[in-house]
Amino acid sequence: MTHTTSSQPAALLGALVLGALGVGAAYAFVPAERFWANWILWLLFLVTLSLGALFIVALEHLVSARWSVPVRRVPERIATLLLVAVPTALVGLMALPVLYPGTRPEALQNKLLAGKATWLGVPFFSARVVIGLALGLLGLWILVKGSLRQDETQDPAQNRRARTFAPVFMAIFGFTITQTGWDWVKGLTPEWFSDIFGVYVFAGAFLAALAATVLTVLSLRDEGRLEGVKCDHLYNLGGFLFGFTVFWSYIGFAQYMLMWYANMPEEVYWYRWRVEGGWGAVTLLLALVHFVIPFFALVTRDAKQDPARLRWVAKLMLAAHVLDLYWMVFPSVPSLRHGPVFSWPELSFLLCFGSLVLLWVRRAQGVGRDMPVGDAFLKEGLEFRL
Amino acid sequence: MKPETLTLPADLREPAIFEGVVTPGGIDDQVLVYPETKPPLKWFVAITFTILLMLMGFGFIGYTVMKGIGAWGNNNPVFWAFDIINFVFWVGIGHAGTLISAILFIFRKKWRNAIARFAEAMTIFAVMCAGIFPLIHVGRPWLAFWLFPYPNQRALWSNFKSPLLWDVFAVSTYFSVSAMFWFLGLVPDIASMRDREKNKWKKLAYTILSLGWRGAARHWQHYEKAYLLLAGLATGLVLSVHSVVSFDFATSQVPGWHMTIFPPYFVAGAIFAGFSMVVIVMIVVRETMNLQNLVTVRHLEVMNKVILGMSCLMGYAYCMEGFTAWYSQNNYLIHTFKNIIGGYYGWAGWTTITCNILIPQLLWFRKCRTSYFWMILVATAVTIGMWFERFVIIVISLHQDYLPSSWEIYKPTIVDFGILLGSFGLFFTLVLLFARTLPVVATTEVKAILPGAQPHHGAHHE
Amino acid sequence: MSDRAYAVLGLFDTPDALMAAIPKVRDRALGKVEAYTPYPIHGIEKALGLRESPLGGMVMVMGVLGAATAMFFQYWMSAVDYPIVHGGKVPFSWQAFVPIMFEVTVLFATFTAGLGMLLLLNKLPFFGHPVLNAKAITGITRDRFALAIEAPEGTLDIAAAFQALEAAGAVDLEVLPATETSPQFTSRGVMGFLTAVVGACGVAAFLTYWAIKLFHVLPPMADMQKQPRLNAQAASRFFKDGTGMRTPVKGTVSRGHLGLGVATQDEAAGLPNPLPRTEATLLKGKQTYTNHCAVCHGASGNGTPTLTAAYGAKPANLLARQFKDYKDGQIYFVVAKGKNSMPAYGADLDEQQRWAVVHYVRALQRAQDAKDSDLK
Repeated sequence: MTHTTSSQPAALLGALVLGALGVGAAYAFVPAERFWANWILWLLFLVTLSLGALFIVALEHLVSARWSVPVRRVPERIATLLLVAVPTALVGLMALPVLYPGTRPEALQNKLLAGKATWLGVPFFSARVVIGLALGLLGLWILVKGSLRQDETQDPAQNRRARTFAPVFMAIFGFTITQTGWDWVKGLTPEWFSDIFGVYVFAGAFLAALAATVLTVLSLRDEGRLEGVKCDHLYNLGGFLFGFTVFWSYIGFAQYMLMWYANMPEEVYWYRWRVEGGWGAVTLLLALVHFVIPFFALVTRDAKQDPARLRWVAKLMLAAHVLDLYWMVFPSVPSLRHGPVFSWPELSFLLCFGSLVLLWVRRAQGVGRDMPVGDAFLKEGLEFRL
Repeated sequence: MKPETLTLPADLREPAIFEGVVTPGGIDDQVLVYPETKPPLKWFVAITFTILLMLMGFGFIGYTVMKGIGAWGNNNPVFWAFDIINFVFWVGIGHAGTLISAILFIFRKKWRNAIARFAEAMTIFAVMCAGIFPLIHVGRPWLAFWLFPYPNQRALWSNFKSPLLWDVFAVSTYFSVSAMFWFLGLVPDIASMRDREKNKWKKLAYTILSLGWRGAARHWQHYEKAYLLLAGLATGLVLSVHSVVSFDFATSQVPGWHMTIFPPYFVAGAIFAGFSMVVIVMIVVRETMNLQNLVTVRHLEVMNKVILGMSCLMGYAYCMEGFTAWYSQNNYLIHTFKNIIGGYYGWAGWTTITCNILIPQLLWFRKCRTSYFWMILVATAVTIGMWFERFVIIVISLHQDYLPSSWEIYKPTIVDFGILLGSFGLFFTLVLLFARTLPVVATTEVKAILPGAQPHHGAHHE
Repeated sequence: MSDRAYAVLGLFDTPDALMAAIPKVRDRALGKVEAYTPYPIHGIEKALGLRESPLGGMVMVMGVLGAATAMFFQYWMSAVDYPIVHGGKVPFSWQAFVPIMFEVTVLFATFTAGLGMLLLLNKLPFFGHPVLNAKAITGITRDRFALAIEAPEGTLDIAAAFQALEAAGAVDLEVLPATETSPQFTSRGVMGFLTAVVGACGVAAFLTYWAIKLFHVLPPMADMQKQPRLNAQAASRFFKDGTGMRTPVKGTVSRGHLGLGVATQDEAAGLPNPLPRTEATLLKGKQTYTNHCAVCHGASGNGTPTLTAAYGAKPANLLARQFKDYKDGQIYFVVAKGKNSMPAYGADLDEQQRWAVVHYVRALQRAQDAKDSDLK
């Protein structure tokens, strides 16, 4: 998303069609576990990205941030991806009997699963997914739709409404993002548990949404569309990107180190799958692209506000987020545990969903004005200096 | 529909950082009068009380060193109790100061300038109080230097794989960094005191302490860079130090301790407890030193909002812990959690939940956020609740873990209580001393953010 | 106080006035232009043409050095110098070393930032700067802003400087005389002291470590281990032939094996049995016989033990007339030296045992045709 050329949407559309055909072929020819693993991966990408973007918006309202008002429309638009995430997730419910041991009747024979079989079963699982996404849509309505409406009405009531709703959304988000991690990811291995997992998924989601925001802001700026957004704003965005890279790494390392240290057989196997054999290389790659490179690339003050630097780091971070989800999901699937797979099914899904996201976000840049012009805080935001 | 034409409704406007007319010279006069003058009688009464409390604590510590840990209630299996509870409690309280000092600086929150100084001082004093406990809880404190890796005739090195040693490094680093950060901030302020002081000896002391600071622009340039870097580094410490403290528990296999959420949970709890303590001290300082125009209701309100936010995060963490206990289907973990809300120490669990989650919800109401009575009520409840939270984590998990034949009830002794109270005595003695010897408000930093303090053409770049 | 002027200082009441004055004064190029303010002013570095602070780079380098140092030392201490497995974790457990590595990184970076800024870049403490004695200093640390034209070498054109500052809007100008005495307690002194302390600690640690390592291999401490004693089956420098094992002196006999004194069985017939025929002797004889002799000669001495069938040789029937007629000494001789197929038991049994066996054999022989009167 660097320059607007007339060929780009066409290329993306082509990729989407090609990818969709591949996905269809995968459904027909590839074992169900692998197909659905890919589906889950991309449903998670959509959910985390859109919820993360919504979180950014809500956070800004919660702390009454001023500097971010000029760029707030960007995450608001990215949050509309939730409308794509919801059907994807609903289709993903078909994966339950295939990938989720807790949903199968054998769970009742398993000593560790029998006590929570009702919770893990299809009805409750689906209910949680639906509730979580419904609450997310509620957040989308109040925060994003309300903000778009404010462009026309200029009514400060929206600010009050958003400010009052922000803490409620935080509670919603706490539930939904935790549920996303626990059900979609940990449900693949229902005997395993880690109570930091919700925080881990949150960290990845927030970071991905930040990266997407930064990329879009830079792209719009290049087109001359975000006049008034200065390097001071970029510095803050870069600062958040840096800080939360460190935060994600801290959470990821903490979970790993604690499980490694106690070495309890009932939980350490989750990491052993990811550290041994081919997956070990993926883990190293993840640490490299999700922590080492972004950390050193953004550590200096100048780097945090340099558009060129921010651009490639943000792209890397989005790719790293996909890798993170791949790393979370695939080794938990028995048939995919022996080593990382990447072939035409994975590529098809990547093309299909990747271009879907890009196309959707691109289209979303036409929704509403580029800045929340109805928001009285915009003036202060544009005047922001470090 | 230009943004410039929109006016902000009154209720959405933020109150000014300072109240009334504040001038740089006025700040000096207002704040520096305290180190420069003799304290009033009530200060002497207060410090006498805190010193007595502190001496009592030292007395009990001396008794412990002579008699051994048997003077405490620690037993088998509850081999950690008040000692570690107090350690974690005090380290936690220190985190608020660093957050205000460092993290809010990173976020360019100007309102932090008025309170950063005494918050940071509280951090240092809290860490000093905390550091006493690991020292005295080892059976032979005179051998505590064995913790450090130095070449010795036993050819031994410290056990770097132990979280207890990570603690040693983390807390010492935290103390050094906080002290360095605090001192650097003080240098220009002490320079002001130096130039105002008439007494020869005091002036000499201030001259030496201010290192000959003269306010040169070349010096400010490097100073600001150092301050920013230190703030960034201290931010890393806020996350890491209490996480390392949480590793003391989370790396073990004790049910209720080995929970992966401990690192961020402890950090949130630390900020929570620390902010509450800062609010309490802030109110006292504000009233007794007439700093209402510098430390305003806005400061208090924002602090209370942070406390409320942290309370909600703690609520999330408690829910996650409880849910995970059930989800794990692990009998030992479930038993531990049943002990938190029932069992011999169930009252402690309920105290924790009430004080940490329920009472702070009062802060949703603006009236409570801006009224001394409610603020102090909530802050005190949180302080008590956070102490009990550590009690719940440590004592409840230890007293009944895997093997029923090892289960044992823990009862603290008067020595335990005496040392805890003594630590409060030490903390408040240091706070009182600080309040009358050094500027409690960072005068230089406040001067820099007054309206009109900076030239009107700001340097900005597209 | 000397006559030489170090600088001319002018005060301003607002930061705007100061910032406006800076380019005017710099253009006059009368000396180094420095500003003194109670707090940092935004944009003043650019106005004064100052180079960017190198502190960031220094801190980054020292931070990375801290991380590397911490990881290396933990590795060396835990996996090389005294490799040890704690709690089932391999000696080099990098996961466990990360927290300390992080803290040491922050420690190194912090001290570089703080001390580097103070001692190295700002050269503080420094109590000898002329502005510290100026009248203006109380205003500078309070609420006024100063601009100074400095010429440390003493080539300042005071009049021109005054004029330049006044033209730029300064009030309360003053001349700062250069200080004569050089101050004692300076940043260089502190840096030197700190370097000396750190260096001394490092050297001391290094020396201590090696001293301890070498301690027990150097005399006289090594004397405990390196004693010139004889160790079994080991070489020894004590004897010329280098062995610790010595052969006994010619003529050495072992206790209980003094030698028979006779060469043939017939000669042995004259040897008297020195042991009294007591119950104790007979018991000892029984025990010895059972352990050594019964295997071939049978439990009752009749030469039909369990072994014979496999053994091939025919042991003597000790109850035969021939052996009853033997003298004690002759039996003794056979026990000691062996006869025909019977191996010599002289090495296995000492004199006491052999004579006790003789008594027992006599008892066995007697038992063959025991009379009732023997049972008394």
